Amino acid sequence: MNRKHTALRGWLVQRVSAIYMFLFIVFFLTHFVVDPPQHYAEWHAWITSAAMSIATAAFFAALLAHAWVGLRDVLMDYVHATIARVALLGLVGFGLTTAGVWVVRILWTRHG
Amino acid sequence: MRFSIFRYNPERDEKPYMQAFDIELKPTDRMLLDVILRIRDSQDDSLTLRKSCREGVCGSDAININGRNGLACVTPVRELKEPVELRPLPTFPVVRDLVVDMTRFYKQYHSIKPYLVNDEAVPEKERLQSPEDRDKLDGSYECILCACCTSQCPSSWWNPDKFVGPAGLLQAYRFIVDSRDRVTQERLDDLTDPYRLFRCRTIMNCTEVCPKGLSPSRAIERIRLEMVKVDHGEGGLALHRVPPIR
Repeated sequence: MNRKHTALRGWLVQRVSAIYMFLFIVFFLTHFVVDPPQHYAEWHAWITSAAMSIATAAFFAALLAHAWVGLRDVLMDYVHATIARVALLGLVGFGLTTAGVWVVRILWTRHG
Repeated sequence: MRFSIFRYNPERDEKPYMQAFDIELKPTDRMLLDVILRIRDSQDDSLTLRKSCREGVCGSDAININGRNGLACVTPVRELKEPVELRPLPTFPVVRDLVVDMTRFYKQYHSIKPYLVNDEAVPEKERLQSPEDRDKLDGSYECILCACCTSQCPSSWWNPDKFVGPAGLLQAYRFIVDSRDRVTQERLDDLTDPYRLFRCRTIMNCTEVCPKGLSPSRAIERIRLEMVKVDHGEGGLALHRVPPIR
């Protein structure tokens, strides 16, 4: 898929990330309904387990990728002036990257 | 019955305005076009509109009726809410009153090469197709190019010069799935840039307003699936019942 296919790639990213987020949310909620953690330590152990850490990180990666494609599309639709568009895309990219770094910090910082 | 009709004569009017007309319906007045023509003949012969076949085949009398695009000739007039507001197709440049300039619309339509491309030797009679292959064209060849869909599509409003629009993309699909066409990959490649196809946000106004019950949004989805080589099922596109304009 070369540069010409960026639109197709964006469309695919949005579809695949949406499916993953849907499945993750269903799994997450089902866990809380079927086997809810009884206290904080149990919840903490569950969410910081290796599998859940990876799954949660993948969820936020999907969310950020989904948001990036969506916001990029909105800006391409409405903002036609190149300078304004590049500036806004930069702002969105910066905001999402910051959110991503924050997520990583939260997920990989061990609290007692 | 009261009508409020968009009027604009660029040679005379500084800006457009809505003009009210009152007319008593006759038993013979069934469709909206019947009444518009009687208004023109009895009250103001300068009222300008396009029309031809008067039975939903030519697509020339597409206008905006109470906020929704449709063909005046197949819209039952007695079902409309009063005052009936008639405007030209949204976002198309107005030539005069209800007549719009379709140049940009046809330019996008022509850009998808709306004809069979096949360089193989011409057969003695015709290029044959199996009944199954012919079925794949159902739901896409029936388009009458009235522009109801494209004019009601927000993606076309935002980027009318770059986004092909639902009518053009429905026709692109019609030739992509045609078994007699030999440039399918070129047709797909032509639509992969960020604007020509991928501005579609699946808002589905196009499907909602198509007076022929076609589904351009489904065709667009199938083109995307063709691009990633995902099977989208056999057969043509299903027609749907057109919701009445109120």
